[in-house]
Amino acid sequence: MSYVGTSQRPHDWAARTDGSTLFAADLRLPALHAAVLRSPHPYADIVALDTSRAERMPGVVAVITAADFAPDAVYVHRGAPLSDRPPLARGTVRHVGQEVAAVAAETYVQAVAALAAIRVRYRPRKAPLTLAEATAPGARRLHERTTDEPNVSVLFATEWGDAATGRAHARTAVEGRFAYPSVSHACMETNTTLARWNQADGTVELWTSTQAPWFIGKEVSQLLGLEHDQVIFREVATGGGFGSKSKASEHEVLAAALARKANRPVLLSLTREEEMGANKPRHRFETWLRTSVDDDGLVRLYESDIRVDNGSYNHMGPSVMRVGAITLGSMYRPDGAVIEARLIDTATQPGGQFRGYGTPQVSLAAESQLDELADRLGLDPLEMRLRNVNREYATTLCGYDVTTARLADCLDAVRTELDWDRRRADPRPDRGVGVAAGSHGSGAYAYDLANRSDAAIDVFDDGRVRVRYGGSDAGTGQSTILAQIAADELGVDLADVEVLSMDSEQTPFELGAWSSRGTHMTGSSVGKAASEVAERLRDLARAKLGTQDVVLRDGQAVGADDAVALGDLVRLSDDAVDGVLSHETIYLLEGTEPLAPGKSTANLSPTYAYAAHGAYVEVDRRTGAVQLLDYVAAHDVGRAINPTAVEGQIAGGAVMGIGAALGEELVREGGRIINTSYLHYAMPRSADVPSVRPVIVNAHDPAGPYGAKSVGEMSIIPPGAALANAVQDAVGVRIRELPLTPDKVISALAEKEGRRRRHRIWRRPGRWWIALMRALYPLGLHHVLHHWGTRFGRGVGTGVADPESVTSLSAPDDLGTVLHEVAAGAQVIGGGSDAMVERRREAAPATVLISTRSVLALRGVRRAEDGALRIGAAVTLAELAEATRETVPVLAEAVDSIASAQIRNVATVAGNLVQEKRCWFFRNGFSCYKRNGVTSPCYAVLGDHRFQHAVIDGHRCQAVTPSDLATVLTALDARVELAAEDGRRTLTIEEFFVGPGETALRPGEVVVEIVVPAAAVRRRSAFRKLNLYTGDFATASAVISGDVDESGTWTEARLVLGAVAPVPWRAVEAEEWLCGRIAPTAAQLRKVLDRELDREAHPLPGNGWKLDAVAGLAEHVLEAVTGVRPGEGR
Amino acid sequence: MHRLKINGEQVEVDVRGAESLAAVLRERVGLIGTKIACERGECGACTVLVEGRATMSCIQPAALVTGDVETIEGLAEEILDLRAEFADRGAFQCGFCTPGQLVRATALLRDAAPRAGLDPEEVRHQMSGNICRCTGYQAIVAAVVDVAERRAGVDR
Repeated sequence: MSYVGTSQRPHDWAARTDGSTLFAADLRLPALHAAVLRSPHPYADIVALDTSRAERMPGVVAVITAADFAPDAVYVHRGAPLSDRPPLARGTVRHVGQEVAAVAAETYVQAVAALAAIRVRYRPRKAPLTLAEATAPGARRLHERTTDEPNVSVLFATEWGDAATGRAHARTAVEGRFAYPSVSHACMETNTTLARWNQADGTVELWTSTQAPWFIGKEVSQLLGLEHDQVIFREVATGGGFGSKSKASEHEVLAAALARKANRPVLLSLTREEEMGANKPRHRFETWLRTSVDDDGLVRLYESDIRVDNGSYNHMGPSVMRVGAITLGSMYRPDGAVIEARLIDTATQPGGQFRGYGTPQVSLAAESQLDELADRLGLDPLEMRLRNVNREYATTLCGYDVTTARLADCLDAVRTELDWDRRRADPRPDRGVGVAAGSHGSGAYAYDLANRSDAAIDVFDDGRVRVRYGGSDAGTGQSTILAQIAADELGVDLADVEVLSMDSEQTPFELGAWSSRGTHMTGSSVGKAASEVAERLRDLARAKLGTQDVVLRDGQAVGADDAVALGDLVRLSDDAVDGVLSHETIYLLEGTEPLAPGKSTANLSPTYAYAAHGAYVEVDRRTGAVQLLDYVAAHDVGRAINPTAVEGQIAGGAVMGIGAALGEELVREGGRIINTSYLHYAMPRSADVPSVRPVIVNAHDPAGPYGAKSVGEMSIIPPGAALANAVQDAVGVRIRELPLTPDKVISALAEKEGRRRRHRIWRRPGRWWIALMRALYPLGLHHVLHHWGTRFGRGVGTGVADPESVTSLSAPDDLGTVLHEVAAGAQVIGGGSDAMVERRREAAPATVLISTRSVLALRGVRRAEDGALRIGAAVTLAELAEATRETVPVLAEAVDSIASAQIRNVATVAGNLVQEKRCWFFRNGFSCYKRNGVTSPCYAVLGDHRFQHAVIDGHRCQAVTPSDLATVLTALDARVELAAEDGRRTLTIEEFFVGPGETALRPGEVVVEIVVPAAAVRRRSAFRKLNLYTGDFATASAVISGDVDESGTWTEARLVLGAVAPVPWRAVEAEEWLCGRIAPTAAQLRKVLDRELDREAHPLPGNGWKLDAVAGLAEHVLEAVTGVRPGEGR
Repeated sequence: MHRLKINGEQVEVDVRGAESLAAVLRERVGLIGTKIACERGECGACTVLVEGRATMSCIQPAALVTGDVETIEGLAEEILDLRAEFADRGAFQCGFCTPGQLVRATALLRDAAPRAGLDPEEVRHQMSGNICRCTGYQAIVAAVVDVAERRAGVDR
């Protein structure tokens, strides 16, 4: 049978699904654990560095600094003069998180403790943190560069084609500036290396999560002063790469250097915080573009000024910028393109290689403008693109020799599959469709030898076959398609083919999986090796069977009337060694050319892939939320070698691109990334992407192995513009900066509709001092508090879990014991889902913890005789939802929206109420006012406060109470029963909350019960929240709870707004207005509430939009309780 | 010494302080199928069943666990159909989050057993605590829904 072209299971599926696949951190070598000391400053000179105290710390075996490397050691990447990055900081740090030293110790906690004992004295320098700052007149230069402009590392200026002709034919043009933010790969497996030094022969063995072992070996060897072949890779699974693991970061060489110094194996596994806060994310692009078209809608000219945030070192910036620019020279058929691109140094972590490699960023601009132009010309966006599609077998402006190009078929597939024409004409307001197209190479001649791939085939005398290649499959399915190819060439059962990758002693030369080269290069080399072996086997069979007519199938060589097993042929072969016939071959790709200095065009790839994506969205004008309803991704992949794997690459890349389009963005404050956790990084979860449908436009490309083109990177390119175009189609606003978060959408709508809020702070003396303080922050107050004030604080925990920091942890079954322990100073916890994480950031967390989870008396939900709902404090959220789904559905509804099923299974009701605030500064290690003490700043005042901070009643801390239950229970007039050893008391829930995530609990007191009075249980209530992903905390929420009598008159009303003020906030005036009303409409309520919010609110500069959003939520919940569908009765 | 029942076997472990269940499983018991990807209970890679309920083992103090613990290693046999469906549909790529996805889905499937299958929307919502960065989720949801349907068919 033929396997190529058919869907096959991943070759190692059984191990990948039973937990036995080994990733680097799963190996059980007796290894030391490493931790890395990182710079807290964006730009500073290192005046002194002393590791002597750390070296004497318990468990510490080795400490390394720049002094452990050659004085001029730098990562070479593509070679001088662009090489600028040392393995450990030498004299200067240029970004927060830059590696300064590393420690190997017996345990990770010991290694982290030793980091604190390393004394570093920094002399901070003024740091350019953004593109604007870096290019401002007089900006501090981070490096001496060869361009004349400050902080411009590389200037790429080119004119492709014939701009003059393009200009002459242009009739319509649009121009604009687009921004694509820096986003994180967020691989599930953090970057991890296990290194073993072999003293005897001076080699180092690495088990490392990588897509390209050869490159890692090159960097590790040259940085350690070894030969390339002294760095030996061993096969290990890689938990996602998406580009990030295709070049050396730091963990590989640091682990190797520590292993050499310690002469023991060392495991260096980045924490999630390091992975997101200090690794090398996607480069931020700010793209100014002008697209000119003629009257037929044909693109005639691109003119562009591209600014790329390089970060503090070159790493992959020069080539990412170049590939980004090539977008304008490779898509469609303009006469000319005039491009200036600048790679600009900022004191932030270096950008890295990320799936799409500059193309998604520039594509956002080009594909958005195509829609703007289609609108001007009155053309359907699909038609606009169909007129412009690339021609087959033509050369593009940037020198690409296109082979097959099925973009038109992709566009047609979007039209059909997305039901484009009907949905575009859909009269329902606020729904829209958008399309975007793109192209990407299949490999690139970007390095020496990038046009070469070696592969080997072993045929064993029992008939089994083994493929050996030097790359690594980070999840792309590469190994599986190689097995399919070998099975076909050799006519064996796929189950009889195994694959060995990335073993330096056993696998031949191969540069690895980057630039979408895996399928083309290794597919070709493995196919060549296998077909050459097949020919040898056929020769042996011809001799044995005495016939020329031999085919390989079913594990045999089959002649006219006889057959012989492959294993028997191996035994017959003179070349077989120990029962194995091995063959290694070299595949050399012809027809591509490398980029050379002074040459701006080149045919980099053997084939080019195309795709068109279509998005169908609904925009909630009230909240700004963009909901993806349907998504079609149609790809010209040539021939799909393994269709299921191809569909997986399409859907996975599309969702990753959708994430960047709708929510993902690394956010910085003072050069430091704030959102270093999944919690604060709005990546799509399962429920956020209900329908993403890959479509393979099957064809056959003559250049590809077995007709195939690339797919892995292509799929992430179109989503940004497809979504932006769909939002424009839905609500008529063009957003040019991703992600399309609700703040941007609602602000654009407000601007379009001319809505503005006035808060008249000058009339409100109670807010004067807060207004004054906020005004002083940018004038120097922030600087003083940040640089000086933070020194006098109580400190901030490392964020690392230290099991030994808890001396006692128990869960007694009676309340008396709990109260007794708590009176003696124990910290009470519920399920621990917040407390166990939160304590890592405390300077002096409690050492004695006591859980309420086993106290039976606190674990019930019951209806009291008077009809009140009594909820035990230790009831889990899941139990609460279960118990209230029929009786008080608003509680169940709110609980369902909290975190994840796993968390709801353990988190308790009381724990949810008393959980810490979710402010990302507070949570992620900033020495803020609440965390560190009164002399510290609130980082939210000047920092990014769009989503999580107060718009009403903010004081020195701008955080809010994060609990959704708190918001709902406030609307339900709940009481909180508290107990201590010396007695009980009851507070209303409004008395219970006194500040952002802060309560009136006294020392020794424990929440024992929440009581919802019978009257509130009977009321009609509804809850709605706006968040950035499923399970996220509320950015804003609203609860309405009311009584409506038989005549339809509201006799009682609560309207509580969540996540907008330090505590759940009752809109008292709106409540009063509702009482006595018959069938109040959303529009009426909105008017009253807007008035109240205008009078009471005091937003920060960037979060005023939350007032609109929360008022919109109030409209939604009113309609929910009155049974009006959105839009009706407006 | 703390007694744990893991995949049906009684194990005695010297649990240190607030050591997480994930750390105990991986480092003391050698069950490395349970992955740690965030160590904050935010991604689901460490999901195990405790008394049948899906739990983030990376933040669950082992000292507080008294009931049965089930990990991917213990469940692999029970969910052979689900594993095969994952493989057939491309519901994993790198496989790092996969044990957590499978364990979470196991609890869903067990809960669904008396019913006629699972609703895709419910699966999406219930599995939103398990991040996958490779697949875009579509195949995972489809695999779980299909297996639920098939099992319901067999059970009826």
